[in-house]
Amino acid sequence: MTVFSILLAAVIVACALGVVFARSPITAAVSLLVGFLGLAVLYLALHAEFVAAVQVLVYAGGIMVLYLFGIMLVDNQVLRLTRQVHFQAWPAFVLVLALFLWMGHRLYHSEYAALPGGRPAATATADAESSESPSPAADNTRRIAKVLYGDFLYPFEAASILLLVAVVGGVFLAKKEV
Amino acid sequence: MSTPALVLVGFLLFCLGIFGVLARRNFIVVLLSIELIFAGAGLNFVAFSDLWQNLTGQVFTVFLIAVAAGEAAVGLGLLIALYRVKHTANVDEARELKG
Repeated sequence: MTVFSILLAAVIVACALGVVFARSPITAAVSLLVGFLGLAVLYLALHAEFVAAVQVLVYAGGIMVLYLFGIMLVDNQVLRLTRQVHFQAWPAFVLVLALFLWMGHRLYHSEYAALPGGRPAATATADAESSESPSPAADNTRRIAKVLYGDFLYPFEAASILLLVAVVGGVFLAKKEV
Repeated sequence: MSTPALVLVGFLLFCLGIFGVLARRNFIVVLLSIELIFAGAGLNFVAFSDLWQNLTGQVFTVFLIAVAAGEAAVGLGLLIALYRVKHTANVDEARELKG
């Protein structure tokens, strides 16, 4: 199990590297697609079945198809022949490396580094109680629905308004005469 | 996999996404790198949701995917508008607010 997740994490990181360093945007998009599918499998391993399904349906099925359409509308040979990497790549690399090292340092000295995947005792008993239900995946979806339509009802409605505004804005930006 | 290792993978995705946004010239790849940043944040949410056995992190990941979908719609609208005006997807060409 651990070997499997480490392999999965390696695949995800390799796909992320492919997104950033690929020459052709199509390669970058397909690499991101594979990375998102790997991320969905990792979510399954973390007992987040509903999020894994949403990740596959919305990301891999919807957003990536949108991106591929965008690439095919815009991509041309001139774009591929121009220098892909900006002159500011080296300063950016130093900045991002410093950010990563700082975040890793904070993680290493945090309370989470002390507990190697172990859970507090109270949640372990709650986990044992919930494991009595027949189907854990269905149970995950039911519990998410209760939280989503209970505590997070207003954010949920706000998200629907955000999506509506974003889609109308996208159409407005892309239409012929602005 | 332990939670710190998962968080580290999330950091790595986040930092690679920031590097892609800063270093690439192709507008599409910049948008894809922003998706990488979202993915890193979502992995952190799910990892801590699994650690504390609390579903709020997973609900936030669902919200994050909705926000990413909105970002993709607006970003592709901008991309097509840029291509119509400048006939390129190079972000360095877009220097003026009005074409």
